[in-house]
Amino acid sequence: MIEVENLTKRYRDLVAVDGLTFKVEKGEVVGFLGPNGAGKSTTMRILTGFLPATAGTARVAGFDVFEDPLEVKRRIGYLPENPPVYPDLTPREYLRFCAGLKRLPRKGVAAEIDRVAELARLEGTMDRVIGSLSKGYRQRVGLAQALLGDPEVLILDEPTVGLDPLQIREVRELVKSLAGRHTVVLSTHILPEVAMTCQKVLVVNRGRLVDYDTLQGLIQKHLPGRQVTLEDIAFLEEIYSKLVEGPPAAAAALADLAVGHG
Amino acid sequence: MRAALAIARKEVTVHLTTPMAWVVLMVAAFFSALFFTAGLDAYRFLSLRAMQFQNPGLLEHLNVTERVISPLFGSMGVLLIIVAPFLSMRLFAEEKRARTFELLLTAPVRPWEIVLGKYLASMAVLLLTVALVALFPLLLSFYAGGAQGGAGVEWQTVATGLLGLLLLGAMAMAVGMVVSALTESVIVSALVSLILLLVLWMATAFTVGVEGPVRELTSALSASEHLSAFLSGRVDLKDVVYYLSFVALGLYLADRAVEGQRWV
Repeated sequence: MIEVENLTKRYRDLVAVDGLTFKVEKGEVVGFLGPNGAGKSTTMRILTGFLPATAGTARVAGFDVFEDPLEVKRRIGYLPENPPVYPDLTPREYLRFCAGLKRLPRKGVAAEIDRVAELARLEGTMDRVIGSLSKGYRQRVGLAQALLGDPEVLILDEPTVGLDPLQIREVRELVKSLAGRHTVVLSTHILPEVAMTCQKVLVVNRGRLVDYDTLQGLIQKHLPGRQVTLEDIAFLEEIYSKLVEGPPAAAAALADLAVGHG
Repeated sequence: MRAALAIARKEVTVHLTTPMAWVVLMVAAFFSALFFTAGLDAYRFLSLRAMQFQNPGLLEHLNVTERVISPLFGSMGVLLIIVAPFLSMRLFAEEKRARTFELLLTAPVRPWEIVLGKYLASMAVLLLTVALVALFPLLLSFYAGGAQGGAGVEWQTVATGLLGLLLLGAMAMAVGMVVSALTESVIVSALVSLILLLVLWMATAFTVGVEGPVRELTSALSASEHLSAFLSGRVDLKDVVYYLSFVALGLYLADRAVEGQRWV
């Protein structure tokens, strides 16, 4: 469903993404893992057609993101790092606007808005202006926007940021329920999230792909002989620190993770 | 087209739920009322004097449309130039600042649909502003009589004047939209488009006392020179072309600026 080949993005002298190559099959849920500044958001922005790549190609559902941006955009639901919401609109007005942008059939718009509002658990806030909602609700409005129109591919950039623990669990359940019918790429800093929702993990560090495998594969490769269950997520921290250790930034990010997790 | 309309609808909603459009309408209402009453007073004074001097010829030449409405429309032209940047400043700059531009650029819409939607919305607010100004000739028509007992307000002149104001406003919005598409700051967007528009409005002021082609050039470029024919009841093709070419150029450049986002 998603094919990335040799993807490179350079900003003047900074290389944000460096020769990234990977493939995501239809119906897979892939976790995008890496320290801050590893190139996760940049890769997602290239996949959604927001940024051009300096070199390499990216294809979604067989369409090149640069040559056929409209075909790609039609198939993608995207939640950027900062939820792209307008503070002066209510979630209902906002979702209606997004439905117009995505050209959903006019007849089913109201029902579709109700559907995504329920999935993102927006009940009770639909007619208050977004500016007065909490960070968690804004994030959920952004998520509802991504789900609108039931797109084949979902690209979620840190979907659980700003949510409380219960909401995080709800979003995880939601993402899990999308597997199979939808192809999902989600980035996160929270390791348990990956263990609980994703079938495969893509680890990037400083723009390069460090490893890409299923959870079982990662365990066998990096912790040979260790018996771990997926409920026990400490193993993932070990693997993660093995893969991205080195730069102090990564160590700091890891410290954050330990705190967030503990 | 559907996406463009969705964008236009959202922009109008935001315009009408935030103070800026209302402030602009208030300013327009206040100043047009001020200019209108002042113009009316001057007109009354003049006609009294004409009667005192027993000068029927002068009295017959006094024309309320020419003496009150046209100057009012002329002043509203300046006002439009000044308020338009405040209506157009948000269009793109705010989307970029609030990161909502990412939503527009990752939705299956073409750049020209975004540009058109935003332009249509600003034209709707402009139409509202000009409609406010149009209330004054309407008000006048209830009271003013013509010299021979006919209608006092010449609707043809009023109509061309309003058309001129609309075209001027359309040009101002197009210039403002391009500037907004080039910056992330709404303040910069408003100030730069205000300066550009004022320079265009007063282009002839740079060549006071100059004769020849330079003078002709500035007067051909001046937004106010092109309004004067409309105010005296004439629609000249060259004036229409002047304003519409700014609109076309503005839409084109804004489209390129949005498309350019995909290449950085």
